[in-house]
Amino acid sequence: MTRTAKVLLIAGPIAAGAAAVAAGRRAKRRTPPRHRHVLTVYRPLAELEVTQLPGSLSEIADHVEIRLAAAPGGRGTEIAVRILDGSPITDGEVRRALRETRSLLEAGDVLLPSGPPTTVSTPLNRPLQTATAHGREGGLL
Amino acid sequence: MKALQWQGVNKLAVGTVPDPELRNPGDIIVKVTRTVTCGSDLHLLGGYIPFMEKGDVLGHEFLGEVVEVGPDVRNHRVGDRVVVSSFISCGNCWYCDQKLFSLCDNGNTNPAITETLWGHAPSGCFGYSHAMGGNAGSHAEYIRVPFADVGAFTVPDTVSDERALFASDSASTGWMGADLGGVKPGDVVAVWGAGAVGQMAARAAVLLGADRVIVIDRLENRLDQVRQHVGAETLNYESDDIAGELRDRSGGRGPDVCIEAVGMEAHSPGPQFAYDQLKLQLRLQTDRPVAVRDAIHACRKGGSVFVLGVYAGFVDKFPLGALMNKGLTVRGAQMHGQRYIPMLLDRMAKGELVTEHLATHVMPLDEAPEGYRIFKDKKDDCVRAVFVP
Repeated sequence: MTRTAKVLLIAGPIAAGAAAVAAGRRAKRRTPPRHRHVLTVYRPLAELEVTQLPGSLSEIADHVEIRLAAAPGGRGTEIAVRILDGSPITDGEVRRALRETRSLLEAGDVLLPSGPPTTVSTPLNRPLQTATAHGREGGLL
Repeated sequence: MKALQWQGVNKLAVGTVPDPELRNPGDIIVKVTRTVTCGSDLHLLGGYIPFMEKGDVLGHEFLGEVVEVGPDVRNHRVGDRVVVSSFISCGNCWYCDQKLFSLCDNGNTNPAITETLWGHAPSGCFGYSHAMGGNAGSHAEYIRVPFADVGAFTVPDTVSDERALFASDSASTGWMGADLGGVKPGDVVAVWGAGAVGQMAARAAVLLGADRVIVIDRLENRLDQVRQHVGAETLNYESDDIAGELRDRSGGRGPDVCIEAVGMEAHSPGPQFAYDQLKLQLRLQTDRPVAVRDAIHACRKGGSVFVLGVYAGFVDKFPLGALMNKGLTVRGAQMHGQRYIPMLLDRMAKGELVTEHLATHVMPLDEAPEGYRIFKDKKDDCVRAVFVP
């Protein structure tokens, strides 16, 4: 492999990773708060009540509006969360709460990352470590 | 404990890391007795999937002995010999209920990365980057296995470690390609890639009743294995006219099912490879889709193409016109191991599915960096390097 190719091979992923993180941050700055988030949990509507939802969704219930609806085709229940005007709750907190609540309802538990960690912090790792420290708060949900 | 760690692009080292701990009540800790390289690891090693951190433990295809169980574990006890699906699945979400286990909603602790990249997040995988959950891998003395009642399977006494090991990923992945690709009795099936996954896909097609199964590669030692252990025909793309041979061997129709088991670092002779390699190195595309292109072109009208090889991002010159105008069904997936492993272990016990020949190089974990070098460079007729921690 030529020296140029080696440099590209090594620099490419780093640049791609940094660009992805930077793009994500730019997008985050540009994107206005969503206010409404919805996911489907594989449990029948008849088994769920807004006031009885487990996990961190119940902790933010006073600051959001939660609606339940039967999902079509036996897919379970759609949980829609709207952030109330003036609420201190962020989109990320709602995403995490929805994902954790779904996991509790379906699997009875919220999966924790591997531990203890085996990685070391380096300047190259840091953007990825920052992103994964809040892994359930990001994304498109 | 000792573990093989990713230290940077094309840098591996065996180091000392903390022992894994039970983190959720459904976890078990497994003492790894066999763990094997996979072609998809090379994408991590080469930096093509840029979500690794220095110190990450590699490995996702393994077998071992249960040494610790969480309080909610019902199906396993200390001392059980288990093979573990490489993807982590809860067993209770809608996707798991549909037996699409690698799409589990609750098995990835970092869904944001892949959800942003691909629209929705697949489940987590052992030792396969922080995009897939950042789970510590199996190239270590011990590993934590979450949702153990769903993803770990007790190995029958009559199946050897060397055989059962490959149920963890290679055989499950290969079987899935044939099964979800829709192989039926009487079909002509073409498989691109004669590595472990391609061989297992071909063997699955044979066992599902295909009339002819043809495996394509350039490495004669692997094609020899196909003829000897799989019971399939072979073609060498460096010396045979693949499109012409496939057309000829299928009565001019083209194969009914085409299974691609090569992945994002595919090779081919001629200018197509040079073009793809240049674009890849300049980061104008992330994957080299040579085998997928060939499979789509070769497939019969109305046929099925299943993509088993791992791809990460975007490709160039994708033959969408052929796909649309020939009415093809194109499907792909990471492996749904939990769906297939019990059946595969049964077939392994009956001798229908043999895998020992895939383990061409067996070595101590201390020699894993050298094992990856041999595996990556395909030296010494290496098909898979197996590590014994």
